[in-house]
Amino acid sequence: MVQHKKLYLLLLPCVVFLTVFFLVPLLVLVSGSIYEPGKGFVGQGYYNFFAQKLSRDAYFRSLSMGGLVTLISMVFSYPAAMAIVRIRSKSLKSFVMTLVVLPLMTNPVARTFAWLVVLGRNGLINNTLLSLGLIKRPERLLYTNGAVFVGLLQLFMPFMILSLISALENVSDDYSMAARSLGASGLKSFWYVQLPLTIEGLVIGGTLVFTGAITAYVTPAILGGSRILMLSTLLYQRASVTLDWGMATTIAMIMFLTTLGLNYALKSLGKVGRSRSRT
Amino acid sequence: MKKLSIIFALLLFVSLAFASQVNVSTWGFNLDLLDKNISEPFLKEHGIQVVRDLGNNSVRLTKLLTQKNNPVIDVAHFADYYAQLGRVEELFEPIDVSKLENYGELFDFAKDPIGGNYALAYAVSSYGIVYRTDLIEDPITSWKDFWREDVAGYISLPDFTITQGPAFMMHINKIFGAPEGDESLDTAFAKLSEIKRDVVTFYRTSSELINLFQMEEVWMSPAPRFSWGQFMGTGLPLAFVIPEEGVLGFFSTVSVVKNAPDREAAYKYIDFILSNSVQTAQAIDLVDSPVNKNIVVPEDKAAFLTVGDEAASLIFYDIETTVRNREVWLEKWNKFLGQ
Repeated sequence: MVQHKKLYLLLLPCVVFLTVFFLVPLLVLVSGSIYEPGKGFVGQGYYNFFAQKLSRDAYFRSLSMGGLVTLISMVFSYPAAMAIVRIRSKSLKSFVMTLVVLPLMTNPVARTFAWLVVLGRNGLINNTLLSLGLIKRPERLLYTNGAVFVGLLQLFMPFMILSLISALENVSDDYSMAARSLGASGLKSFWYVQLPLTIEGLVIGGTLVFTGAITAYVTPAILGGSRILMLSTLLYQRASVTLDWGMATTIAMIMFLTTLGLNYALKSLGKVGRSRSRT
Repeated sequence: MKKLSIIFALLLFVSLAFASQVNVSTWGFNLDLLDKNISEPFLKEHGIQVVRDLGNNSVRLTKLLTQKNNPVIDVAHFADYYAQLGRVEELFEPIDVSKLENYGELFDFAKDPIGGNYALAYAVSSYGIVYRTDLIEDPITSWKDFWREDVAGYISLPDFTITQGPAFMMHINKIFGAPEGDESLDTAFAKLSEIKRDVVTFYRTSSELINLFQMEEVWMSPAPRFSWGQFMGTGLPLAFVIPEEGVLGFFSTVSVVKNAPDREAAYKYIDFILSNSVQTAQAIDLVDSPVNKNIVVPEDKAAFLTVGDEAASLIFYDIETTVRNREVWLEKWNKFLGQ
């Protein structure tokens, strides 16, 4: 019992902080999206949101963009994390880790502006393609879905790599070796042993990347421009231009519920993975 | 000696703490210059400390809304569109202009920009066309030149959600022959659809626009006069054009908050920023273009400001119309972009 009390004490600062700065504002947000003083229940906001083609499009664009960014970052990050975990030289490993974390240390606005230089008509990609003779005229790469995609991928991939590194470091090589010694191929040992054991890393990384991707504002605003309307840019429009805070709150809640839903889905997937690793 | 300095510091602190103050809601730009040109001389002349609450238009307007029953701000600065929104939300009280010594010195357009004396304009800006003189051979002279074939693919236009967006659309609507008083903007949308694919992007900030010029993505775009200095800073061969159909005008406004805690200080502050000395200082430092008609700006500064003939020829669109139609227009705009 005493042990428990001590545990609660240890948790106290974090719980107080999260209650004051997260739970209370969240409750205010939830109540604001369904009830407005003087207007009564306004849950209709959710209906209005999905009734409009424009906001539906923005929602599904954000959802598919977030999903794709998450998926591709998983595919790219897993081999990278595997390689980093296996680096023996400590100095090389810390150098590579610094490279992974480096993008997180630069301002997102500066990072996004760097993409303008790469994707512009006189940018790196167009110039390279032109000099190789693959295209005759510079292609418009900026202000497209593709531009938003690469911007978001670069922005959030470090979170996936870091989550996977910490998951992979907790898995001893012995498991894979045992699987191999019992006759499993490399692919089988990866699929049936290593992947299920590191699924937690994918769940955490996936949640971080997806949440970041669908809530990011600067990157879609700068690389997508006005043409690519996402949930976050729609929210800005509602809050800042029409001062329609009711709809802005509704959009914020829809974002929140969507990430919560994805987190739940990934966790369920994780459970399936773990139970498979036991069988 | 040390004791003396401590006592002196304390005295200074106490005197500052007890000096009366005027609470001003405004933007967070050029704060050093605002201190030099407004706060310091105002404190000297009237013994009133200027305390600023900073933020962009929408954040500050929302703050005023939440404080409506218990206001803490005396004076609020807004872009004209947000001032009109504030008027609709009944956040301001009519200004008794007879109490302002400098009121008579203002250009007519600055005297009652949103109606009902709910605001005064204390600064003005114009919106013309900036273009690359080396890449576009035939000079740009008209708003209609955005439809020229030789500029297709290298133009930018304002996003509807920025301050200049609605007035730009109303202007396009008018010059392409929409009937007088038309509020549908259908003509403008139809004309814009013709060149939608030729527009690199509908820009949201002037810094974004300047960046696009630097990257040679954009050769021509409508742009505010106040950013002309930054455009010149790029070193590119550029010109600022006043199109033959006229240049658009925009205001920065100042209003007295309804039930302001210190109305007297509010009036003194407003009168002060309209005065010859402040308007001149702000113009010379290129913070704002003056609305006081007596101001004479040195020639080397005039190119960066909205003054002289340019100020006299500004076209202002009714902001009330914009506010009344904003939901409908924004929906049309989003649909237009999504098509």
